[in-house]
Amino acid sequence: MSLRLLSVDPSDRGSQRCRLGPGLMSALGLGLGSPLLLSVPGGSCLCTAWPRADLAEGFLQIDLKCSSRNLIFHPPSHVCLDPGQLTPVPCPKLKHVKITVVVQSVDFKKHTPPRLVHELVKDMLRGVCRGHHTVPLGGLDEVSASLREMLQLPLLYPGTLSSLGVSCPRGVLLQGPPGVGKTLLVRRVVGEVGASLVVVRGPEVVGTHPGESEEKLRAVFEQARSAAEEGPCVLFLDELDSLCPKRTGSSAPENRLVAQLLTLMDGMNQSDRFLIVGATNRPDSLDPALRRPGRFDREVIIGAPTLQQRKDILSVLCARMPVGPNVDIAELAQRTTGYVGADLSAICREAAMHAIRENSKSSGEQVVGMLHFQEALKAVRPSCLRGSLGRTELCPMSWDQIGGLEEVKLKLKQSIEWPMLYPEAFVRLGLCRPRGLLLYGPPGCAKTTLVKAAAGSTNCAFLSVSGADLYSPYVGDSEKALAQLFRQARACAPCILFLDEIDSLIGSRSSSQTPNSVQTRLLSVLLNEMDGIGLKTLERRGTEKILQAEGMEENSTQKQLECQEVCNKEVMVVAATNRPDCLDSALLRPGRLDQIIFVPPPDHQARLCILRVCTQSMPVGADVCLEELAAKTELYSGADLENLCKEAALLALQEENMEASTIKHTYFLRSLSHMRPSLTAQQIQSYQTHPR
Amino acid sequence: MSKPILLSLHQGLRKSFQSLENNQKVWESVLADCIPLMVSLGNLAEQSRALSNIQISNTPLRDFPDLEERLRFKLQLSTDTVLEKLNLNMSSLQSVRDSVTNQVSAVVQLYEQNADSLDLLTVTERSSTGPSVSDMLEWLVNAERHFRQQYLRRKTLLQTLRPDDLSLLESAPKRWKSLESPSAEDEIRDTLCKVHFFIESQ
Repeated sequence: MSLRLLSVDPSDRGSQRCRLGPGLMSALGLGLGSPLLLSVPGGSCLCTAWPRADLAEGFLQIDLKCSSRNLIFHPPSHVCLDPGQLTPVPCPKLKHVKITVVVQSVDFKKHTPPRLVHELVKDMLRGVCRGHHTVPLGGLDEVSASLREMLQLPLLYPGTLSSLGVSCPRGVLLQGPPGVGKTLLVRRVVGEVGASLVVVRGPEVVGTHPGESEEKLRAVFEQARSAAEEGPCVLFLDELDSLCPKRTGSSAPENRLVAQLLTLMDGMNQSDRFLIVGATNRPDSLDPALRRPGRFDREVIIGAPTLQQRKDILSVLCARMPVGPNVDIAELAQRTTGYVGADLSAICREAAMHAIRENSKSSGEQVVGMLHFQEALKAVRPSCLRGSLGRTELCPMSWDQIGGLEEVKLKLKQSIEWPMLYPEAFVRLGLCRPRGLLLYGPPGCAKTTLVKAAAGSTNCAFLSVSGADLYSPYVGDSEKALAQLFRQARACAPCILFLDEIDSLIGSRSSSQTPNSVQTRLLSVLLNEMDGIGLKTLERRGTEKILQAEGMEENSTQKQLECQEVCNKEVMVVAATNRPDCLDSALLRPGRLDQIIFVPPPDHQARLCILRVCTQSMPVGADVCLEELAAKTELYSGADLENLCKEAALLALQEENMEASTIKHTYFLRSLSHMRPSLTAQQIQSYQTHPR
Repeated sequence: MSKPILLSLHQGLRKSFQSLENNQKVWESVLADCIPLMVSLGNLAEQSRALSNIQISNTPLRDFPDLEERLRFKLQLSTDTVLEKLNLNMSSLQSVRDSVTNQVSAVVQLYEQNADSLDLLTVTERSSTGPSVSDMLEWLVNAERHFRQQYLRRKTLLQTLRPDDLSLLESAPKRWKSLESPSAEDEIRDTLCKVHFFIESQ
């Protein structure tokens, strides 16, 4: 069977259709509009298959919209084709389109702004980019807006800038901890604006031979310059710190590279309309000459995301996941203090993996639930705290596991839990969160345990340090470590920083023999960090938000989140000691450790509670009278009482071999007779008289 | 098994034709609104031309100070007003185009997703009250292409106008008129007539 080629129907002109009989179409396995490659004498032609209106077989009509060059000039006519000359072509999904714009005249090019051409092309391709959707960036709106403005302003209003007599900014330095999305931000903004991007990764430029690196750098700038002639262009220097370290005295090869970059940036003419964007996570190690206006004019700091930003990021990440109805993004955002964007996406991935693993066991719907997120939270730790000194794994404790001490618990809740849970009440009454807490009291009275419970009851990050973490044989090292600790804690605020045994860590300036010991230096660092003059610029997070008394009515949860964000940006220092008299008075004044809580030795009622808690997991005999034990254990601390229960249980095992099933009262009494209370009346007296 | 798919496809086609009908009405009325605006744009260009041809200092009007500047300013102001109105009309044309494109691409996508389960016999089957799926898809795609091209051409015409090039401004109404393609408009009207029973038959 052969096909007669007829001339194209007028109504089909420009439609790129190829009309053929339905029988042939089904024989070739074509549907409506399937792409089809025709080879005719003199060239080939790409069409979309369509059945003929009269459904007749044996005829073929092609529209030559997309065909070989000479087919357009010499359209084939009166030829017969073989069905074998028709080949169905696969239709891969469109990923990129590169468009070359050919204009009619030089005149047109001269008078038409490129923006218009861009717009027209976009209009022309409408419907082509149907599946085109970009993932929005969560939480980086302000930063990306400022970046976009810098890119677009000189392009849209070139006249305005020159009439103002200013040169447009040409350099932006992005800085922030790793994983907050600096590189992604640049790529996204560039894509949105429609600019071309020239990427330089630091190590790629560096060559082995002398002078090679400089040459490569020059070539990159040249490339950007030529790209800028076509339209907006961004030269992106990723990991700038590796490219441009501080220059040292010796004639290191890096020095020459830095000098080359500086001269290249200075040598940019006003006519070179490209923007240089550098990204680094160690801005301090950059050469200072690079950071002056005229080179990198603007420095944009992207800090660890705040609560609101984390919520934005999570909602973006979860938008494409089949998330169960029980997943509360606001709660997840609260629980992820200190997580950056990369961590959050790791959490989502991990949660999805959990869901898959679960589903492979029981084939059900693919839904990621809150449970999976909770599992993922255990596996992914915040990278802000990675490598931090005081990162501790906490086994969650509840307040009920501590017997007695109701008054102390209430005070702790007031200063730690309430600002987190009822921020709006704090704002209403003009209260601010206490900066620090000092727990003091005789040893063994549950100071450390209280802090643990407090940390577990809120979702804030918890860092704990001891002397062993901080002390170092090198001078100045310990201070640096402590300052670093505070920096990290601030990065993931709200955060509790726990200094156990603070008296050994930080002495007093008045009593110590050597005035310049490590302890006094640490003390000065601590005083500065707790009540310093302000944050370093590098630690800025989000934009400054100020709570307004009246404003638009927002929904209440949103408001509460914002309140919480404003109230809880500080690090809370919790210190514990049993020698309050050794502490420096400067540390104890309000504004630093402003809540000083005495954790008293347990009284009769408290001892009873403690004994109850301790014996909860023990099979205690029916004759055991905890009241009597509590009465007999005057001056015993909580630790002593726990020890007493342990001793009694051991004694039971010793007496009744390993078959002992209950602990009798006599064992308690016998072990009590062996023990001495660890507290003395004189000691307690000294605590009680201790003034602030 | 192809029955429910065919039904949903028919439903989609019906919806598209309904929206096409509404959009067609909007399109025609907007274009009709544009004609007087284009005429006045041409008039303004003619007046500007006349103003530049004349030497005011040689006429009795020379006693009025800054007359030429004032007149030119006035003309430019009214040109701006006219262009602003035209731009407003363009945005309604754009919304027509967007809505048609979205509707049609949704239907085409629906077909493409289910293309495997619809054989050619089904899609080319016609009845006394309804055209075949392939015909209807073809008409929709044609109409969509028409709106897209028309919008693009008209937009290009308006966007390439420059205040300093009077000949462009003068020829604008003529070029605007030459963009009309009555045959394509007729075809859309024909199409809507052809599918009339089909739309009603739900």
